[in-house]
Amino acid sequence: MDTARFANERLVLRALEADDAEALQAYLNDPALIGRRCIPWRMPDITPLARRQIEEILDSWAKEKKAFTLGIEMRETGELVGHAGCFWGWDTHCPGISIAVAAAHQRRGIGSDVLDLFLKYLFEKTPAHNVNGWIASWNEAGLAFARKHGFTESGRVPRGGIRDGTYYEEVMVDILKREWMVAGGDSDGA
Amino acid sequence: MALEGNLVILREERHEDQPLFVDLRNDLETQGWNVALPPTYTEGMYVKRLDAMEFSYDRDSARFSIVLRESGELAGYITYSDLEERLAATIGIAIAKPFWGTGVAFDAQEVLLRFLFLELGLRVVHLWSHSGNVCALALAEKAGFVITGRVREGMYKNGKLLDTVVMSLLREAYFVSHPEIEDALPDLIREAT
Repeated sequence: MDTARFANERLVLRALEADDAEALQAYLNDPALIGRRCIPWRMPDITPLARRQIEEILDSWAKEKKAFTLGIEMRETGELVGHAGCFWGWDTHCPGISIAVAAAHQRRGIGSDVLDLFLKYLFEKTPAHNVNGWIASWNEAGLAFARKHGFTESGRVPRGGIRDGTYYEEVMVDILKREWMVAGGDSDGA
Repeated sequence: MALEGNLVILREERHEDQPLFVDLRNDLETQGWNVALPPTYTEGMYVKRLDAMEFSYDRDSARFSIVLRESGELAGYITYSDLEERLAATIGIAIAKPFWGTGVAFDAQEVLLRFLFLELGLRVVHLWSHSGNVCALALAEKAGFVITGRVREGMYKNGKLLDTVVMSLLREAYFVSHPEIEDALPDLIREAT
């Protein structure tokens, strides 16, 4: 696994370019990703995104400081199937991560591959001590994914938003470096 | 009318406040940040920051100077940020050491909470601190905040690993502790189960 290039046998995490806009717009506007698009905070997470908004998202990602967002590309097809980011503006000691996989490509282990690459990078090549994320309480698949990969639920911040007439919580999840190492330096089965 | 409490008034920042704000930022015990900031801030930097603020009707944050009602003395500042309109905001406070333990921080916090819940109609208010900041946690708990999340060992400060802590105060909890205030805002939103 070539983590220096953020790649493995079946996918590559690469820089996002302007001509990714069409693919990005297509999977972000899929109803299955509503509310969990992993896009810049002030961008709409629910309403359909116009091309100009997509370009604004790409532009925002390209200008990120103390953060990066990469596209997930399948080697075999060259298709862009998602995006994932690391951000340490808060503190490199405790970076946050986010992963979004296009609905049509979920449940194929892509998210797991990306998470493994990110954790290996963060815990082996940066001062990260705690890697964390935020998952909406209605996102049962996301919560199950985090649990499966050894993340601990460390909090439930109330009223993170409203969905279908109901408040939801923002669930905090995290994994410490020593927990990752005990699990063998990868996240499966921790 | 300024925002008034029993002990304090919250008002806009002024140039004359900046020397104290610089002192608060340059003191590792009061600077109130997730990582230690170098204590090299200057009055010039703060004045520049203040002068760069532009008028807007669309503001998602504010900083108030905390002034004692009786003496007019400046005691610190209190803020809200990350405003999600009609839903949530995060508050922060920094008080000069001579005013620790005098009730000034609590009163300032109460004045701001009243503004956030009664004027901005928020449903929840959060604040961030760390597990080693006993005074800040106690101040928040006194107002009804409860710990709702942690970043485990998320801070390294003064040679110690600490949990970053987030605390939250629900609107309903605020009004329960203030029965003298009527909550006329209808809320037909269900709670998460």
